[in-house]
Parts: sequence; structure tokens; C-alpha cells
Amino acid sequence: MVGIERILSAFSEHLVLTYVSLFVSISVGIPLAVLALKSKRLASIIMGFANLVQAIPSFAVVAIVVPLLGIGFTPAIFAIFLRALLPIVKNTYVGLSEVDEAMIDAAEGIGLTEWEIIRHVRFPHAYPAMFAGIKFAAVLANSIAILTAIIGSGGLGRLVFEGLASFNTDKILAGSIPAILMAVFIDVSFSYVEKKITPKGIGSE
Amino acid sequence: MDVQWVWESQKLTQRTIEHLRMFSISLLLAIVIGVTLGLFLYRRPKLASLTLNILNVVETIPTLALLVLFLPILGIGEKPTIAASVLYSILPIARNTYTGLTTVERSYLEVAEAIGLSDREILVKVRFPLALPLIAAGVRIAVVFTMGVVTLGGLIAAGGLGAPIQTGIHLYDKEIIIVAGLWVGILALLLDGIAALIEKYLRRRYRGGD
Repeated sequence: MVGIERILSAFSEHLVLTYVSLFVSISVGIPLAVLALKSKRLASIIMGFANLVQAIPSFAVVAIVVPLLGIGFTPAIFAIFLRALLPIVKNTYVGLSEVDEAMIDAAEGIGLTEWEIIRHVRFPHAYPAMFAGIKFAAVLANSIAILTAIIGSGGLGRLVFEGLASFNTDKILAGSIPAILMAVFIDVSFSYVEKKITPKGIGSE
Repeated sequence: MDVQWVWESQKLTQRTIEHLRMFSISLLLAIVIGVTLGLFLYRRPKLASLTLNILNVVETIPTLALLVLFLPILGIGEKPTIAASVLYSILPIARNTYTGLTTVERSYLEVAEAIGLSDREILVKVRFPLALPLIAAGVRIAVVFTMGVVTLGGLIAAGGLGAPIQTGIHLYDKEIIIVAGLWVGILALLLDGIAALIEKYLRRRYRGGD
């Protein structure tokens, strides 16, 4: 059996790893998506890049970070950040750019500035797409946080890898079951936040 | 950087063949099961939301965790890797098949009914062809997922290109990591590119360029 304290400390490491990276991804991804609104050219470069990176397997991303940044906690954060960034950028941009033209015209008509239109018109309409991206990114981040244990990030992945190395099923389960619960919890909690901040009358999906 | 040395010492040709073998088996199984499931849900719409939600939960399970959960049942190696890839890839394919079959424009269906096609004929001759581009889009997502899971298979002794990456990380050998890592990346982009071309062709053929 694996001690409950061991599981709890691994769990909290995992939580920090996932949420710190996710937070960085969100705070870089959303401004990037707003930036892509500025010009078609910039947008197509960013989206093309997003599609390219999406196709690379996570394990390869984790591996490629090693020669650049070494091993440990920080490289792990960087790998997760990279993986979680693109779904956020992509979905936020799609959400922001596919707002009904008539709505934008109306907003310009009543004299809102470009920034006010982004803040009060585009963003609320982009929330469903944006949150779909963030939720997907969160689940991805949780998944890669397990993988990064192989480059020394700690967290629940360490239990899984120790279990794998000694073929100890208890240890594997002690690592993976909390990770699964955490992923489900992340998904549910972001759905809740989404429901809270979306104004009534906008997209019920 | 000595690409040739890494390539030979890590037997990358053989690894690539293993990799593509697992990839093709998984993707084929996922397409067969996913499309069948999509068709089934179209027939039994009451089960649709429940089934799709269960698959959604499966999707939130970290890949590696899913992989190791199969270990006690299927042992180590190729089998759990293929099982995990298939399980991950069923959702996008089934969901897109189901969505494609159920969201056909009314006017098409009315015309089909007017010329006297039976329900079965409408499904085969109208709904299915119109759903093809969406199914292809689902398959394209599955290509990316499958590629990822197969790479992870290296961690549970399935061979494939995950194996040299793991070796590289364990030995902390930068050359192996970069060569093997980039090669998987290029391969993934290539397969994704082929899938994108097929999707584009089907879209132009059956959905009139949208």
C-alpha cells in the first residue's frame, strides 16, 4: 500500500504544477488571441503554428524541452505551458472573430471604442468557445503533468513511474486515480466559472 | 549533431515501422468502432447524450493513466497501447458521425422523401455522404490523439518511437532526444497533413466548399 501522506503531497505538487502552467498559458494565450484580431496575416501565422504544434505528440514536446532547459520543475512548467497554450489561443481567437458583424456595427454606431467593443461585445460572445479551449487545455495540462514526472517534476506522475518501474499496481493506481479525479474536477470547476461569468442570453452550450 | 549515428544506434527505421504499425491498427479499429457507434446512436438517439458523456469522461483521463490502467488486464507492450489509442479516438469519430448524420438540412431530406427513397436509402445515399466531411474531421483529430498515445507506448515497452525518446531522457543524451523527438514531430505533421488533404477533398466533394 502507499501511504496517504505520500499521495496527498504528490497530489498537491501535481495541483501546483498543473494550475501554475495553466495560469501562464491563459495569461499569455488570451492577449495573443486579441493580438491576432489586429491583422489577418498575424492571425493566419498564429493559427498555422497552433495547428502544427497540436500534431506533435506530448511526449515529444516533453522530450524536446529537456535539451533546451534541462530537467526539473521549471522545464516541466514550460512543457505544459506550451502544450496548453494553443487550444486556448485557437478557440479564443475563433470565438472573438466570429461575432456577428451586425452586432459590431451596432456597437460602433453607439460610439464604443475598439477596446470597449472587444471588452463588452466580443469577449462575452467568445466565452463558450474560449472556455471550451481552456477546459481542453486544463485536461491536457493535467495529463502532461503526469508525463513530466519522467523529467523530474514530481507530482502524481512520480508514483505512476515508480509503480511502472517496479510493476507495483498499487502505486500505479495511487498515482492515476487521483489524477483522473482531478481532471474531472477541473472540467467541472471551469464549467461552473463559465456559467457564472457568461451574461444571460448568450450561447447556452 | 550526428543524425546518422543516432538513427543507426537507436534502430530508428525499425522503430518507425513498429510505430506506424500500431498507429494504423489503432486508427483503423477506432474508425470502425467510432463510425459504427455513431450510426448506432443515430438509430437510438435516447442513448446518445449518455454515451457521449461517458466518452467525455474517458477523454479527461490522463493518457498515461489510461495506458497503465490497462496494464493489469492486457499486460505490457502493444496491446494496452492499441487499446488506449482506440478508446481515446472513438469519441471524436463517434461524436462527429452522430452530429453529421443528424444535422442534414431539411430541404435535402424533403427532396429525398419526395422522390420516394426509403429511410434506409436516405441514410445510405443522403445522410451518410453529407456526413463524410465531418467524419473525416473527427478522424483527423483521432490521427493526432493516436499518434500521441502510440508515442507514449514506449514507456510501457510497446516499442515504437517512444522507446528511443525514453532512452534519451534516461541517459540524458541530447542528441537522441532531439533526433527522435523531432522525427516523431515531423511524422505527426506528415500524417496530419495527409488527413487534412483527405478532409478537404471530401468537404469539396460533398459539402460544396464551405
